[in-house]
Order: sequence, then structure tokens, then C-alpha cells
Amino acid sequence: MRIGRIVILVLTGALSGLAWNGLSGRGMSLTRHVFIHEGDDIIDVTEAKRRFDRGALFIDARVRLVFELGHVPGAVLLSEDEFESLFPALESRLRGRLDIVVYCDGYGCESSHVVARKLKRRGIPASVLDNGLPAWIEAGHTTRIEAGTAKP
Amino acid sequence: MTILRNPWMQRALSLVMGGVFIYASLDKIWWPERFARIVYHYQIIGPNALFPPLAPNLLAATLPWIEALAGFMLVLGVWRRESALLIAFMLAVFVGAVGWTLYQGIDIENCGCFSLTTQGRHAGLALILEDLILLAGAALLAFLPAKKPSSR
Repeated sequence: MRIGRIVILVLTGALSGLAWNGLSGRGMSLTRHVFIHEGDDIIDVTEAKRRFDRGALFIDARVRLVFELGHVPGAVLLSEDEFESLFPALESRLRGRLDIVVYCDGYGCESSHVVARKLKRRGIPASVLDNGLPAWIEAGHTTRIEAGTAKP
Repeated sequence: MTILRNPWMQRALSLVMGGVFIYASLDKIWWPERFARIVYHYQIIGPNALFPPLAPNLLAATLPWIEALAGFMLVLGVWRRESALLIAFMLAVFVGAVGWTLYQGIDIENCGCFSLTTQGRHAGLALILEDLILLAGAALLAFLPAKKPSSR
């Protein structure tokens, strides 16, 4: 067993990957967050709280089960997987608003970005809370269980 | 123990293990951004406040090629023990990553093991067991060389 051979395998594989990423046309920007697309409006928790205090509408993009376990007070459920069925009942509340904030489960969660883009395609602007509900909780803001709000 | 050190058995095991790892790398090589998304879902190396997107993006761009190269070497039977050790290390890290997400309660719908385009495997206990079997195979090739040196 020669450790040097393992180093050669790792370096050759890594360099091949970087070359493919840069030259194949199928690669990605190595520094760009792949969840975030051009035109996405990302806000931090301080800005989200400021908007919350002014009565902004918060949208929870997580699945129904975790929404029902607790969410930002007053938030409405509009999860990615139920978007098409939930949106029609919410549309009149959303349309015309400029203060919608979408959140989900934090850095590993893409649903808030997806839901915000779906709203944007329907002419409804929405910001995404960076690091979602974990950021909200870490900042010391409350969550609430509100029976019935999970229904469309 | 004799059967485990049998050159033909080890050759067959190398072909199977190598084939599995080459196959596992194909979708990830073809869809680096989709694989990066899955790396994000694990929430281990970011992106978050500590790790910028560069960390998970680099992993997503390079890891599949290291997998493919190690698998290719196993199929060829060249640097077999070193390739097997590298694969064993990757499997051990992956088992640790899946275990960590289970412990943290992070739901990974697609483990990123093989297909990124269709509905993928859920990252759960069954996956850990499967990977431990693969890990045992890789460890055998790495640490229990065949009895006849000429067969390597």
C-alpha cells in the first residue's frame, strides 16, 4: 500500500472535476450559491423582523407537518409540494402586497427560494429570509402553533 | 478466510465495486449543480455562516471524478488496494454524513448516491446498512491482499 498513490488518485480526480466544471459547458460557478438565482431578493433576519413588526405577510414554505408544529406567528402555509393546491385560496391575500417574506428550514432548504420564484412568476414579489426559521429562532423571535391556519 | 484471499474472488469483487462506483459517479458528473444541491441538503459543509458556497460546490465538482477514477482503477485492477482504501474512506465519510443527518433530524429525500434526475433514494438506515456492506468489501480489498501476488 502506497499513500502517495492515493494522493495521486485524489489530485487527478479533483483536477479532472475542476477541468470538466470549467470546460464542459455543464459546470457551475464555484462561488455562487446554487439555490439563489439572479433576481432573488434575500433578506437577513434583522430586516425580516423589521418587516414583521410592520405587518409583513410571512409565508412558510416547509411541509405541512412541520408547519403545524410551529411557525412564525401569523405565517401562512404555502409549501413547495402543495403550492398548486394552496395558492388559489391565498392568491387574493398575496396579490398586490409588496412585503411578503418566504422562509423554510434554513441553509439546506431550497423550498423558500422555489416558492418565492413561483410567486414572482405570477407577478407577486417576495423576499426570502436567509437561513429561514433557524435564523428567526436563533435571533430570539417567537414561533407559534395556530390551530387551523394550516388548512387552505 | 481462504476464500476472501482468493485472487479470483478479489478480482470479481474489484469489478463489482469498481462498476458500482463508476455508475454512481455518472449522474453527478453530468449534473454537477444538481449534485451541489444535494450536498447543500446535508448541511454539513455549508453553505452557511461558516462555509461559503465554494466549499460544497468544490466538493460537488470534484468528488464524482474521484469516485469514478477510483472505480475505474478497481475495474482495471491497477493500484487496487489504494483505490479500495480511497473508496472505503469515501464510504465511511458518507455513512457518517447520513448518520449525522438522521441524528439531526434532517430529511434527505435524495441521498445523491446514484440518480439525480429521477426520484432518488431516501437517506436512512437501510442506506447506511447497504453502504456498510460496500465498506466491508472495500476494506477487504484494501487490507486483505490476494494470496498470489501475480494476480494483482
